[in-house]
Amino acid sequence: MAGLVTTFGAGAMTNSIGEIREADCLFVIGSNTTEAHPIIAMEMKRAVRRGATLIVADPRAIWLSSIATRHLQLRPGTDVWLLNAMAHVIVTEGLWDRAFVETHVEGFEDVAAAVAAYTPEEAERVTGVAAEDIRWAARTYAQTPKAGIYYTLGITEHSHGTDNVYALANLVLMTGHLGRASAGMNPLRGQNNVQGANDAGASPIFLPGYQRVDDPEARARYERAWGVPLSPTPGMNLNVMMKRVGSDIRGLFVMGEDIVMSEPNVARLEEGLNRVEFLVVQDIFLNETARFADVILPAAAFAEKDGTFTNSERRVQLVRKAVEPPGEARADWEILVELARRSGGAWALSSAAEVYDEMAKDVPRFAGLSHARLAREGGLQWPCPTPTHPGTRFLHEGRILRGKGLMVPVAYRQSLELADELYPLVLSTGRTLYHYNAATQTRRESGLAAKQQEAWVELHPADAKRRGIGDGDQVEVRTRRGAVTVRAVWSRQVRRGAIWMPFHFAEARANLLTNDAGDPVTQTAEYKVCAADVRRLDAPPSPSFLPGSFYRDRDPEG
Amino acid sequence: MNDPNRSRVLTLTLDGLEVPFSEGETLLDVAKRVGVTIPTLCHDPRLEPAGVCRTCLVEVEGWRRLAPSCATQATAGMRVTTDSARVERHRKGLLGLYATDHPGDRAAAERRGPDELLAMIDRYGARDEALGALSSLRAGRPKDANPYIDFDPEACILCERCVRYCDEVEAVSAITLAGRGARTTISTADGIGLLDSSCELCGGCVDTCPTGAMAEKLPLTRGLRAERELAKVRTTCNFCGVGCQLDLNVDPGGRDGRGQVVKVTSPAPGTTTNDGNLCVKGRFAYDFLHHADRLTAPLVRGADGQLYPTTWDDALSRAAQGLLGVKERHGADALGFVSSSRCTVEENYLVQKLARAVFGTNNVHQCAAT
Repeated sequence: MAGLVTTFGAGAMTNSIGEIREADCLFVIGSNTTEAHPIIAMEMKRAVRRGATLIVADPRAIWLSSIATRHLQLRPGTDVWLLNAMAHVIVTEGLWDRAFVETHVEGFEDVAAAVAAYTPEEAERVTGVAAEDIRWAARTYAQTPKAGIYYTLGITEHSHGTDNVYALANLVLMTGHLGRASAGMNPLRGQNNVQGANDAGASPIFLPGYQRVDDPEARARYERAWGVPLSPTPGMNLNVMMKRVGSDIRGLFVMGEDIVMSEPNVARLEEGLNRVEFLVVQDIFLNETARFADVILPAAAFAEKDGTFTNSERRVQLVRKAVEPPGEARADWEILVELARRSGGAWALSSAAEVYDEMAKDVPRFAGLSHARLAREGGLQWPCPTPTHPGTRFLHEGRILRGKGLMVPVAYRQSLELADELYPLVLSTGRTLYHYNAATQTRRESGLAAKQQEAWVELHPADAKRRGIGDGDQVEVRTRRGAVTVRAVWSRQVRRGAIWMPFHFAEARANLLTNDAGDPVTQTAEYKVCAADVRRLDAPPSPSFLPGSFYRDRDPEG
Repeated sequence: MNDPNRSRVLTLTLDGLEVPFSEGETLLDVAKRVGVTIPTLCHDPRLEPAGVCRTCLVEVEGWRRLAPSCATQATAGMRVTTDSARVERHRKGLLGLYATDHPGDRAAAERRGPDELLAMIDRYGARDEALGALSSLRAGRPKDANPYIDFDPEACILCERCVRYCDEVEAVSAITLAGRGARTTISTADGIGLLDSSCELCGGCVDTCPTGAMAEKLPLTRGLRAERELAKVRTTCNFCGVGCQLDLNVDPGGRDGRGQVVKVTSPAPGTTTNDGNLCVKGRFAYDFLHHADRLTAPLVRGADGQLYPTTWDDALSRAAQGLLGVKERHGADALGFVSSSRCTVEENYLVQKLARAVFGTNNVHQCAAT
């Protein structure tokens, strides 16, 4: 998100979900869309059915790559090479949009110079993607006016995640594929309210509406609104905060997040949690983090409270209370108002609608939105500055929000942990269709559990055989940080030398393995690349194991 | 741009009225747009026209046979009648045949879901046309162990909406027409269970089915009340970032009057971002709401390290005192606030306000700021 704010001036999908079906070229990179965003994938399938060109770049074979025009199966962590080489082709073959660049872009010359060394042939050596495929992808993307880029955490969850975003934004800006229907750059948000949480200022550097805490004018606005002086010092990023739990961080309030499931390198976090002086956990279940809590506050689930979620395409939509919460559980917003009152803050807020109004009045891009209007008209997309404004379908029309789009040259940096003799495999982690994040909700569904009841690791049959591992064997996956026991699945979805694990299973926490080293700008951890190895354990193979929906290349002969 | 054909307004006559249309519209599209009702069974706006159910037949002047309005392109000057005696005679006869091949037990049908066919048979008075109940030769899949989707071959009329949805929208082609003649049924390749097939359990087949042949298993096994006794509450899905709109189907008397979510259905196609579609989680993963593991009372840790239930008053006071104590001993920046991209916009606003305005620190974040 930091990358998009820097280059375009807003960290959000530039297009709408409904525009996907009209696109003529879809460049999907680092997104297993059918499993993580199934309904967006339906729109992509519809576009392909209509005749759109689909380019999938992913180290794994995924469902979408099975219907892609071409699949660029790059080595994990080499995205910058692939994207810079595409930029190289666009520059050297004169496929860039001169008029757009002159009017709307700064930094083109720097990027053109920086990508000169990234030839497709050299890129083939580093990424494993054929030079001819790179040329084809660059030409196809550049020469299709309605071309959209779609990406998720496969781009950002790297120590060079921000570089990846810059490299993608460079392709967008040099081709002018921005500010029009179906043409743009689209981060697909993983959780229901990622966009809304960021919009609302749950951020160490941004007040609501991306107003910086170190901007005196913004701070003064909120000091007036809230009637208290505010700290001008940006706070800690989550990844930094988690590393300092137990040292600099002595007290912690955690709402709706199971940090000992979801944070990387959790063994270290758990040590820190043992040392904190006070921990409050507010959740709907007794999650794994609650083991360390001093006070646990029972919260209402989404069907038991009012409010709004803001989706990937900036659409603010109502959440409505349909049933009463169980026992004495209360809506999070009610608990927060009470907690504030007992901590010295007197907030006159008696409904979620009033909270929204308080937030919207100081943020121009939300000022036209209210619960009453959303109930009347359905979801609306920000920017929506006035009560009669219809909302904004796609961003940057006629003028990029930042003024001029900024192209930032990026140089390839290796992932922080590469395969070596001790840990010769590269581990990536991800989500599956049938579970959701820490799976506190989905593993309590009998049906979903029937489809995927236990954790597994996908490995290439060649890598499996070399280690004497059969399909379905129980194995231990090891990294420098920890080890977990899972089922082995022979899979041709992964490249040789690469392995993949879902992160949903509490008894086999993938995040005991992952690297907490972060991106220098966002501090986002490198969930997608770390060095690992696998060994067989003595245990009977599982006879009826159904890992998921896309495992048809399980050739028993390897 | 100056193509004279483009600027010319195309019109046709529909039930005696001259109406404009644009190129590419079907007769059904035109009728819908101007508010003329034509009954359909095999039509779904998300699917390519199939023209197999024959309920949408209309009369076009000069055409020998009635035409399926869903699959007939509008052309300039057409004279179309949707309610002539001939059309009505055809419709009644056709619905009578469908009624013969469809269970008449209304209560049973209602438990499976809305039955568009039964409603249509009533609306057009076609019950008398039925030839007496016939039991179907179509085979079901009684051994299919999938947890969510039930298929009742008796209720099926082979409109193929489910098969076409699976093929054209979800694009996994898990279900297919199988068998021949009167034995034709909806099945999978080799009749395998859905869990073993390419099915992703999205439930789109249930959503699009007009007769209740495809139904949700869980509400059936749990003795769900009829649809009309349920309240529908429109809300936003709580899983991924697509923001699908869904309707929680609530039994208001369930859970001792606290209300119980017994089913999730999708809004009509074309009305929300998700175009009537949902995934396996959005449509089926609601049991967590009423799960026995839900936290129901505030808990505090005792001196013995165990957790004990307590009152809200006590828990909130302790939470406030604990956090204020850390601030007093180590300063505001020794506190960290982890907010949540799973919670609402309003709640995220309040957490950051709590951190900044009440406790005085900018150490507030959530897991989703990449």
